[in-house]
Amino acid sequence: MTDTKRPREPFAPWDRRSLPGLFDVDETAERIGYYKWVEIKLFEALGGWVATVPELDVKLRLGTHCYHHAWHAELFDKRLPELREMQTERLTVPPNDHMVEFFESMTEPEAAHLTIEKLVGVYRVLIPHKIAAYTYHRNGTSEITDMPTIRILDFILQDEFNDWREGEMLIQSMIESPEELERAMSHQTKLEKIMLAAGGIAGPGSIGDPYVEIVEKN
Amino acid sequence: MRKIFPAEELARDSRFIRQSNEQRMGDPRGARIAGGNAGDALAKLTPGLPNGPDRARALMHGIFVGEIQALEGAGRTCWDFELGDEAPLALKLDMARQCWDEARHCEISVVLAEHMGTELGEYAENALLYEAACNPDPVLRLTGVNRALEGLAIDVFNTMKEFGNMAGDPVLEFCEDWMLADEVTHVKMGSDWLRRLTENDKDRLDKALEFQKVVDRLFSFNGFRGEEDDSPIQLTRRFRELAGFTDEEIDEIADMSRDARSEAIT
Amino acid sequence: MVQVSVKPESFEMVLYDAAVIGEVVAEVAERLGVDEAITLNIDETSPLGRSKILSYDPIDLWVDGGALENTQRPRNFGQARSRDTIGRLLLRILDRRSGRFDDAPADDELDLSQFAAWDVHNVGRLERIGLGGQKKRRLYQFRNRHGFTDTADAAFEELWGSSELSWAEIERISVGCRP
Ligand SMILES: [Fe+2]
Ligand SMILES: [Fe+2]
Repeated sequence: MTDTKRPREPFAPWDRRSLPGLFDVDETAERIGYYKWVEIKLFEALGGWVATVPELDVKLRLGTHCYHHAWHAELFDKRLPELREMQTERLTVPPNDHMVEFFESMTEPEAAHLTIEKLVGVYRVLIPHKIAAYTYHRNGTSEITDMPTIRILDFILQDEFNDWREGEMLIQSMIESPEELERAMSHQTKLEKIMLAAGGIAGPGSIGDPYVEIVEKN
Repeated sequence: MRKIFPAEELARDSRFIRQSNEQRMGDPRGARIAGGNAGDALAKLTPGLPNGPDRARALMHGIFVGEIQALEGAGRTCWDFELGDEAPLALKLDMARQCWDEARHCEISVVLAEHMGTELGEYAENALLYEAACNPDPVLRLTGVNRALEGLAIDVFNTMKEFGNMAGDPVLEFCEDWMLADEVTHVKMGSDWLRRLTENDKDRLDKALEFQKVVDRLFSFNGFRGEEDDSPIQLTRRFRELAGFTDEEIDEIADMSRDARSEAIT
Repeated sequence: MVQVSVKPESFEMVLYDAAVIGEVVAEVAERLGVDEAITLNIDETSPLGRSKILSYDPIDLWVDGGALENTQRPRNFGQARSRDTIGRLLLRILDRRSGRFDDAPADDELDLSQFAAWDVHNVGRLERIGLGGQKKRRLYQFRNRHGFTDTADAAFEELWGSSELSWAEIERISVGCRP
């Protein structure tokens, strides 16, 4: 018979989650507001581009990915009130004006012959930056107090990796000449410069700061 | 990228040939619609008709291009409107969900076309569905597309499902069954949003219902879609009820079809 | 050159040219070894795809305008579709004249399955001499009349790939695979 009175540790020996995290409630809510804004802008753009892209496989992938990012926006939207933000629109904002400029540039291409540019903006610039910021957040936040955010980010990151891979393969399949490669690279550079100024999808500190500050000793 | 993207510019590869509405309606033999023809003697679309399989093939191609346009239309509704009272986030999320569904419907249709021996682009494409999706008012857009056109899709898919069942075609029946489930969801989205966004705006509600009627009428000529035994596409009461249509609304579509039919006969 | 007379000589509802149609009919006839005069009656008011043989000797054919139409461009003439339509009719005539089809029912007594089976055999032969094809379309029609089964598919392949079957053989294959 099981001895129901025998005490056990609340954390099993293999459960090494730790309490401290990088963000307090307000900081978490602020970052999630930025993420939500980015996801909305992205799903709107993907939806808009569907009609402008003649390549049938790309058209169908954009339609599919459009929903993935809408769902991410919905997950973040539901998380905000749990972080004491009842007016969710209040935090659904870009981290800075550079991010607004980034989306304006990313969504500029419309013509049917610009599929490479459309894909590069999303799959070579934006999504890698999203993966970076989400990973930093996921790994840095408290594994106990902020587990709901980690759970959301895990689901989302799974989508991001899959979508990134599909998008990257579409790009590779569309680049057939040095000129097209040049187009892809120069568009990427243009957008990366704006992203650099923005500091990442959540502004400066999107992926933390790895540099060590040296304090003068003498 | 512009807001409101014109139907004439919908991006297609070289396999697809566009037929304008003027060309379609201007065909002196009667406008063609969904594998049938306004001038045909009416007959329910079944495998037993001598040209049944070929009409089903043509209809399936019409469905395929309709799915592409439904995808494009739902995508544009995500983009064309600023987030806010005009287009709340929840509405846009529904439209994004519809994008995914329609993308799957395109994939299903491609497989079905292959199954039925139809090449992509084998028939002319008409952009009527997408045109309804260009309405500048999101409520009218959802009413014209989700309630009128996707309501028609419910009728068409159910007819095709029965066609597959009668022919003993497990692939067709299976695919139509799944698409029918999604389509009922999309029509319900249209019904729900129409109600929510026009709750305090009778004028907008009237305009939306009028727009729906205009679109419904386009597909009712000659009793093409109706409740008579020989209507090629059968009006589907049960699924329309699930999708938020009232009995009166279904009666109205049935009446519209009967009127169009008697007009064509006289 | 085979003499073809196309009726009507000009069209109001479709954008067809009787001379072009005559050339296509003559080309198909020559490929099939038919060298006698052919009359082709077209009902331009109908966009359907029906066709029939009004008379086997002399050759007098009737088609819906739709049977010659380009499905991508409604009201326009479609060469491939026309080759298929005319080819099937002429092969039926040649079959019936061969002695192998003396026991076949008259055209208007053939049921949908028999028609479908004979058509498969016709289109398979046409494809091999470079006149049309659309094998999968024919398979779909055949399955609708004979069932969506492996047995029906095997029967289809036999009809499609055989060179000159008799009516008795077509009938045996068709009946043998029906559910
Ligand atoms: Fe659909
Ligand atoms: Fe739909």
